[in-house]
Amino acid sequence: MNHGASGAETFILFELAGTTYGVPSSEVQQLEMIEHITPVPNAAKTVEGVVFSRGQMIPAISLRARFGFEKIPYDLKTRLLVVNVDKRNIGLIVDSAREFKNIPAELISPPPDGLASLTGEYLAGIAAVGENTILILNLAEVIKTEASEVAGTQT
Amino acid sequence: MSETEFNAQFFDQFLDDYYAEADEHLRSVRRNVIDLEDFFTNGQAVPANTLNELFRSFHTLKGISAMAGVPAAESLAHHMESYLRVLRDGQTAISGEGLAALVRSTKKLEEIVASKRNNAELPAIDGEVRRLESLVPDTPRETDAAVHEVPQRRGESSIQSVPRYLFTFISAPGLAARNVNVNTVRERLQQIGTIIKSTPTVRTGGQVAFEFTVETSAEEASFESWVDDGIEYEPVVAATPDPAPADAPAAGDGSRSGLPGHSNFVRVELSRLDGLMLMVGELVVSRAKLEEQIKRLGSEMSAQQLSSLEETNHTIERQLRNLRDGVMRTRMTPIGEVFERLQFAVRDLARESGKKVRLETTGESTEIDKMLVEKVLDPLLHLVRNAVSHGIESASERKSKDKPEIGTIRLHAATVGESIMLEVSDDGSGIDLENVAARARSRGLLSPMDYPAGSALLDILCSPGFSTRDEADKASGRGVGMDVVRRAIDDLGGTLSLETRADLGAAFTIQLPLTLAIADALIVSVDRERFAVPQSGVREVIEIRQSAVRRLENNEIIEYRGTALPLVRLSKLFALEDNYREAFHAFVVGEGSQAVGVAVDRVIGQSEIVIRPVSDPLTQVPGITGATELGDGRIVLILDAAAIARRLEQKL
Repeated sequence: MNHGASGAETFILFELAGTTYGVPSSEVQQLEMIEHITPVPNAAKTVEGVVFSRGQMIPAISLRARFGFEKIPYDLKTRLLVVNVDKRNIGLIVDSAREFKNIPAELISPPPDGLASLTGEYLAGIAAVGENTILILNLAEVIKTEASEVAGTQT
Repeated sequence: MSETEFNAQFFDQFLDDYYAEADEHLRSVRRNVIDLEDFFTNGQAVPANTLNELFRSFHTLKGISAMAGVPAAESLAHHMESYLRVLRDGQTAISGEGLAALVRSTKKLEEIVASKRNNAELPAIDGEVRRLESLVPDTPRETDAAVHEVPQRRGESSIQSVPRYLFTFISAPGLAARNVNVNTVRERLQQIGTIIKSTPTVRTGGQVAFEFTVETSAEEASFESWVDDGIEYEPVVAATPDPAPADAPAAGDGSRSGLPGHSNFVRVELSRLDGLMLMVGELVVSRAKLEEQIKRLGSEMSAQQLSSLEETNHTIERQLRNLRDGVMRTRMTPIGEVFERLQFAVRDLARESGKKVRLETTGESTEIDKMLVEKVLDPLLHLVRNAVSHGIESASERKSKDKPEIGTIRLHAATVGESIMLEVSDDGSGIDLENVAARARSRGLLSPMDYPAGSALLDILCSPGFSTRDEADKASGRGVGMDVVRRAIDDLGGTLSLETRADLGAAFTIQLPLTLAIADALIVSVDRERFAVPQSGVREVIEIRQSAVRRLENNEIIEYRGTALPLVRLSKLFALEDNYREAFHAFVVGEGSQAVGVAVDRVIGQSEIVIRPVSDPLTQVPGITGATELGDGRIVLILDAAAIARRLEQKL
């Protein structure tokens, strides 16, 4: 097993409803404080609105709503995680985010079969780092399902 | 940059130049062919100038197509040139057949250039070539010569009297940096003599080499040193009598591009101007922020300090507006170019359909954003086609209606405030409302009780797949429908409206914003949200009292300028709270019977906005065209007034 740099990937860790998630830092553009989100009328429920980020208007999605948790008011710890997936820039609203972490590949195992259903599709793997369990997200899936849902629910 | 990369890039750049130059010449060809047709139909003599210009254009098109390696275009242009030569020299007179062949061949040339540009398969030219050949009296041997060879000038000796050299130029990054490229090399060669032939070749390893055969009486000493610039040469020994000296265009070969005074023009890539426009946009936002801050600080400053700050702010505002106008002007090009292409299409359609149609154009000098030119051509083309095939009646039918035998289609362009108005009207039969109603009912687009009128009529015509033609007719294939026209105009932030009167004709009006990047907008508020509405689509802002609103079933109507104006509440469409204040504002969009009032809480101001697309599918919703950043840093959404007005129709 390769323990060199190529064997570990950098992840950005964030918290959502008490659980720690990780996304590959290569897919993350930046982390921003949330100032103001302009709501978009008649958009899907998970779409909080648009924000202006690096010269571009991008959608801001409530990841809580996406994952079926209750929405909470934004506070000082709330972050907008701007990700770039499939050439789209999208902002994910998360409870807090602070850490970069190198996670060696051998610490990441595939999601258990028991986790099928909805959540199962969002997961690329589960990492056990010391005492912590980190759920690694498959961003392409998170975004994709979102898009099809919009097409279906649009008025 | 590697050598291969350089070559690839160089060749792309070279091809771009070719397309631009070919477009310019095709434009001039279209104009002259139309003139030619006018002279012919009016039985007037064709001025030598028209023929000369056409001849020169084909000559140049042939030359540049050879350089760019497009033999189909080269060959076709060659045959057109041959025909023009016999016309010019009076060996034969222009005929209806000849005109038709020129029109067809010009269209084919356009197609070839377009296909090359899109990397599509090039169309065949056999038919056109045969027609052209049959027009040239006892086609001399010269037309059989290889297309690269320029046919010999009449009456000139074919014996080579002037020495010839084969120059070879291979481009390289170092040379390009010194401005030694194929164009400057060509210019140099033109200065010392006449270019007989030019061919690009791709050497092993992907290098692009250009070979020029040049006739020159200049001493070798005068171009010996060019070897340092990558220009090699060798004398050409004429073995066989060679078809030869160049048939230089009448104006001399120096005018390679055929553009009068072309040294005063700069060809700029549109993307660079887009970049400039974006920068201006950013400045506009920064200034708005500055103004916001001045307002906030106002109370903490002396009146004098404040007024001098405000004065500076206003100066910057004015200067910025001038800058914006200046940048915009560099992107503007007269709509006449589009009209000429339509002129061309109309003649062709009239010929095909056997109807008698003439096209009148006014406002050709109206300027339009270069980017809009290509995008507006297709919708206009479609409207014009419809006018010929659906609007204008056959000559006999027109006679029976006491109308002039020749139908008229009018194209009109004008700048109206911050927008451009384009109108396509005809004096034909008008839209057959009975036919439209019957078809709309059979497709469930219209209830049996209703009659198509106003914007409802336009909505029916613009519904996907709607056609008043019979299936058999449709098979002849005109492709797009009105839905495509409306979508194209919507995408440009414009509006489409229609007026029709039985036996008097129909008029379609397109209104487009002057520029797509920056606009003057009204800022309106609903509930706690603000929205921007581009002013180009707004006719008027009115204040309304709740008591003046009449209810009719589910609709709200107000009296406006003597007519009933439907009211659509933005709060309802966007599921926002409506406070139903006693007095509120509405802005009027749409023309004539298609006008609606869009009710908001208040119009709170006016602002110059930079339009940014909201392109992610997650945030694309009907009624929103983009978003903009206001001076206070907040993002507001930009309303698509036309779409909002239409949604009202659908909800009724």
